[in-house]
Amino acid sequence: MIEALFFYLFAAVMLGAGLMVVVSRNPVFSVLFLILAFFNAAGLFVLIGAEFIAMLLVVVYVGAVAVLFLFVVMMLDINFAEMRAGFQKYLPIGLVVGGILVFELVAAMYGDAFSGATLPAASEISNTRALGNVLYTKYMYLFQVAGLILLVAMIGAISLTMRRRSGVRRQVIAEQNMRRREDSVEIVDVPVGASARTVATVPPGKRER
Amino acid sequence: MYASIVFLPLIGSLIAGWLSLGNRDRAAELITCGCMLLSLLFSIIAFAQVAIDGQPITIDLARWIVSGDFEAMWRLRFDTLTAVMLIVVTGVSSMVHIYSVGYMSHDNARARFMAYLSLFTFAMLMLVTADNLVQLFFGWEGVGVASYLLIGFWYKKDSAHSAAMKAFVVNRVGDFGFALGILAVYQIFGSIQFDEIFTNAAVMANTEINFLGGALPALEVAGILLFIGAMGKSAQLGLHTWLPDAMEGPTPVSALIHAATMVTAGVFMVCRLSPMLEYAPLSLDIITIVGALTAIFAATVGFTQFDIKRVIAYSTCSQLGYMFFAAGVSAYPAAMFHLTTHAFFKALLFLGAGSVIHAMSDEQDLRNMGGIWRKVPVTYAMMWIGSLALAGFPFFAGFYSKDMILEAAYAAHTGVGSLAFWLGCAAAFLTAFYSWRLLIMAFHGKPRASAEVMSHVHESPLVMTLPLLVLSIGAVFSGWLGYELFVGAGMDRFWGDSILILPIHTAMEHAHHVPTWVKLLPVVLATSGVVLAVLCYSVWTGVPAATVRAFRPIHAFFYNKWYFDELYDAIFVRPAVRIGAFLWHKGDRDTIDGLGPDGLSGLVVRVSAAAARLQSGFVFHYAFAMLIGVVALVTWYYLRFGGM
Amino acid sequence: MFAFQMADIMPALPEIFLAGIALVLVLVAAYGGETPRSARRVTRIAMGGILITLALVVNGDPLASRAFGGMFSADSFAIYMKVLVLLGTFAALGMSLRSDGDSDINKPEYSLLVLLALVGMMLMISADNLMALYMGVELQSLPLYVVAAMRTNSLRSSEAGLKYFLLGALSSGMLLYGASLVYGVAGTTDFAGIAEAISGRDMPTVFIIGMVFMISGLAFKVSAAPFHMWTPDVYEGSPTLVTALFAIAPKVAAISLLLRLSYGAFGSIADQWQQVLIALSVGSMVIGALGAIMQTDIKRMMAYSSIAHMGYALAGLAAGTVAGVTGVMIYMTGYVFMGAGTFAIILLMRRDGAEATRITDLQGLSRTHPLLALGLLVMMFSMAGIPPLAGFFGKWYVFLAAVEAGLVPLAVIGVVMSVIGAFYYLRIIRLMYFEDTDSPLDSKIPMANRVVLGASLAVILLFFAGIAGLLAAADSAAVALIVLG
Repeated sequence: MIEALFFYLFAAVMLGAGLMVVVSRNPVFSVLFLILAFFNAAGLFVLIGAEFIAMLLVVVYVGAVAVLFLFVVMMLDINFAEMRAGFQKYLPIGLVVGGILVFELVAAMYGDAFSGATLPAASEISNTRALGNVLYTKYMYLFQVAGLILLVAMIGAISLTMRRRSGVRRQVIAEQNMRRREDSVEIVDVPVGASARTVATVPPGKRER
Repeated sequence: MYASIVFLPLIGSLIAGWLSLGNRDRAAELITCGCMLLSLLFSIIAFAQVAIDGQPITIDLARWIVSGDFEAMWRLRFDTLTAVMLIVVTGVSSMVHIYSVGYMSHDNARARFMAYLSLFTFAMLMLVTADNLVQLFFGWEGVGVASYLLIGFWYKKDSAHSAAMKAFVVNRVGDFGFALGILAVYQIFGSIQFDEIFTNAAVMANTEINFLGGALPALEVAGILLFIGAMGKSAQLGLHTWLPDAMEGPTPVSALIHAATMVTAGVFMVCRLSPMLEYAPLSLDIITIVGALTAIFAATVGFTQFDIKRVIAYSTCSQLGYMFFAAGVSAYPAAMFHLTTHAFFKALLFLGAGSVIHAMSDEQDLRNMGGIWRKVPVTYAMMWIGSLALAGFPFFAGFYSKDMILEAAYAAHTGVGSLAFWLGCAAAFLTAFYSWRLLIMAFHGKPRASAEVMSHVHESPLVMTLPLLVLSIGAVFSGWLGYELFVGAGMDRFWGDSILILPIHTAMEHAHHVPTWVKLLPVVLATSGVVLAVLCYSVWTGVPAATVRAFRPIHAFFYNKWYFDELYDAIFVRPAVRIGAFLWHKGDRDTIDGLGPDGLSGLVVRVSAAAARLQSGFVFHYAFAMLIGVVALVTWYYLRFGGM
Repeated sequence: MFAFQMADIMPALPEIFLAGIALVLVLVAAYGGETPRSARRVTRIAMGGILITLALVVNGDPLASRAFGGMFSADSFAIYMKVLVLLGTFAALGMSLRSDGDSDINKPEYSLLVLLALVGMMLMISADNLMALYMGVELQSLPLYVVAAMRTNSLRSSEAGLKYFLLGALSSGMLLYGASLVYGVAGTTDFAGIAEAISGRDMPTVFIIGMVFMISGLAFKVSAAPFHMWTPDVYEGSPTLVTALFAIAPKVAAISLLLRLSYGAFGSIADQWQQVLIALSVGSMVIGALGAIMQTDIKRMMAYSSIAHMGYALAGLAAGTVAGVTGVMIYMTGYVFMGAGTFAIILLMRRDGAEATRITDLQGLSRTHPLLALGLLVMMFSMAGIPPLAGFFGKWYVFLAAVEAGLVPLAVIGVVMSVIGAFYYLRIIRLMYFEDTDSPLDSKIPMANRVVLGASLAVILLFFAGIAGLLAAADSAAVALIVLG
């Protein structure tokens, strides 16, 4: 009874948050609603006894992905109002198509369609241990492939973002360490009342780095 | 050896055609002339063996068409009829080949010309050696094609081009009749082999055939249809309009095709089919009438024309009429006899005319000639011989053959026979008249050409005059030599089985026993024609113009060729052009193209442009399209399987 | 409890080897620096690795083919398709080996990513489990998204990569969602298990919906309409070398996966997915044939051409018979070589060192580069399906299978669309042979392009001679896929 109550609570909040992700005007709000949706999804996982996945969801999606999103959204200067112009235009047809799809899916899933897959009975071993038992044995293959995919993601991200352009200033730590006081600081005797123009300054070439 | 008679010209033609690619004209001339002379030599030997010794043979080359019951062999048939034609064809053709070497010497496509000439000869030989109707048709169409190529040889000349088309198209009409005739024959006899047709002709004499909705006598239908084919090829009244225009081709072509060989194919065909036509009396009557009308019609037109070649062309037309009405009264030997003699003297006249044209720097109009007989003595003499033979003066070739025809027509003692006789006599008078009109206008009187042209007038080279001499020998002696064999006492033995004359058709036999006035009348008429022409054109030179003024309507009628061209233009050509234009604009362009290729491609382009517009470049459009795709597929399942 | 054995390693040895090479290359690339020389070294090692892998694949034992508890299958079907993919990728990599090449592509990461994508394609071909399927798809797709955007200073390239990535993510979502529905009904992710679970019972609608979603997700990978819309933009925007790769190899892997999924997992409900595939096939043929006509860029045109080709291949797939599978395999064989040969020429379309990929740039090619023009002529004739070239046999067997399966309207539409499609192939020939130009293309032809073009030409021209052998191989592979899968 109490489980059902929480299920509907989490589910309702998640759906509402999901809706708000799409419709809210401020993109920062959208990301925050996304985080809310993730949290509720994690709650749902807890309810069915999949606490490991629930925690993964919180750690990875809320902790990493959504926060990254937040940074990106806040850093990029995107005119969201302009992007929304199309939203109104396509809303009716989008609603129709989406509505049809929802109707069909609901109709299809009504009843005991998913008879084939049954949840394994709760056992004494914990989620984490159970995963650990199969991850490196039965699903070794998939695990390794997942590793390759991550490698690809890494290489891809590096090769797309790392670029060498002339005129870009970079920090070279070794040079910073090697730097001596004589190279950069010049003691100038400034007489009282002298105009700033008469004071010799470091020539521009020396100022680099 | 027999097969090589037919195929030597083909080989020559192929080699010459290949040589024409490299413009090696001299080699092409030598090879084609060599092949033709060899073919002539073999033909003479064949004539001796087949006709004189009476040993007809057939040679199987290959099975040609086998389809169900239908079977056509590729078989060469050599009997007397063929042998006579072989002599005529190879003889005239080889002379024309040699003559062309000189006549065409200023042309830059001589190899191509020689190739066409040899190709024509091959097709003609194929025609005369045919053993069945389909093979005959093959040769028939082959000469049609070669004739088209030769008439249009100077294809850059507009008039030559359209003349070639006209010849081809008009011949199509006749060929349609011919093709129908072949079908009718096959329907009647179940075969197209001559032997089977001829043996069964007597049995089938009274059968009927369904044609155009009525039951008609079978052999009459077949005969008339086949004769329509002959009319086209032999330029008989109604389908003659192409022949004068065909004079646009080089003169040797006119001599070969439009005097000696191709146009006589119709006569040959009628004679070849004599065993069948003998049982079709109505057809024979029609042949007689058409022939007689053609003879007089062409003669009346001929004496008003001014183009030297056209005069001779109409004369040819007229002489072909003689041959047909001879055949029509069952005097096939007489028709073949006249065919042979005519081939020599008409080729001579054409080549002579060519020589004149050559001398006059390509001038063809008689009104611009005259006064050159001293400068071209050989040609002048040849033209005299040719004209004498044509007019039928005693002891020249035409005398024997033409008189024989007229006598046979008289001796037929039928209505149509008498008609043919009198019309033929009138034509004989006109023939003599226009022949001398031509001679006088071309050679005598004051020169009417410009001084510059006159200064260039010269006798033709030996290569041109030599063939003239050879032909003139034929024109003088062929009648005297051939009389006994062709139509005389040795006739039955000579022709053997190749010609059949039923005993009830007695024209040939009675022709030798006609009243004396009948024998004399043609000569008298010819002489008076000559005298009148001499008087009109060299003594009282004002008479012709005065006559023209006096009989303006009649002259206009004759001069405009009885308005046949205008009539056909109004009845067939212009309506056809209008129908064609209608079908082209409304049917083809607007309907078929509009809805078919053009419309479809237009539709494709429009759809394609629409597809390109869908490709907007916006990611969310693409994503949306994908989503719609999925939803559509899922929805389709719902509709199809009812939700399950 | 499941335990590893040598029997699991052996079938997957080629993939393991290739992945190992890729890992080694990560180090080689990292220490070799960013110079073009280092990039070429990486490429050469990668190509060598591909050749060895090819040998391993060919020597694989198709009878002892299952590994990792049935997730991985290296049967004769997999061997056939892997050979195609390996050859295609080898050609695409080889053509990037030019000294004056594209500086954006001449980076060590390029070959590395292509190699990893190749591993992904091979895993896709061998996938016998929903999870393995997804892993293969992702391992193949991710590197391709990256290489599409590899020309970082070109807006179009970045846009292409981003579009491809976003839409690819959407399609992955569909694929996953569909897989979850299928799993929900069948209770297993194993293809054989799914086939067992669904045979002989009425399938609930939700299973069909899951299947539709999965096929739609894969249809994106083969760029079948209406999931094709990324193709023209990505083909056009990507560096041409990458476009060449896209056009040659990944489609083969995706089609293989589609074959394996529909014939293996969903084999018993062929009459259901047949409908989806017919719709996809017709849509692709129509869009491909009509869309290409208005194009002015040859890369874009090739994108539509590839959509059309996929439509024809799907027609064979839709037949649902052994002959259909055979037809698709023959078709893809021809497709790989046509793509390689055509792009070997398109890659040469440069003027003064800059890419010139408008179709009109081909004008007068027969005068300036007669041999290239002849080569492209053969390729275009083959694509248009003119006998006796490879493209003809592909179409022939595909349509034959469709007709035999009773899908006559589909075959008729296919033939009509081939006729319309022939238009734009022949247009290229017209431009090459009947137009003139005053600004000829560069005349330098690198050795790699010569070899690829020569080899492709040889295969396409001699296809008719080897068709019997190919048919036999494809037939046995098709039987293995359907009976054992």
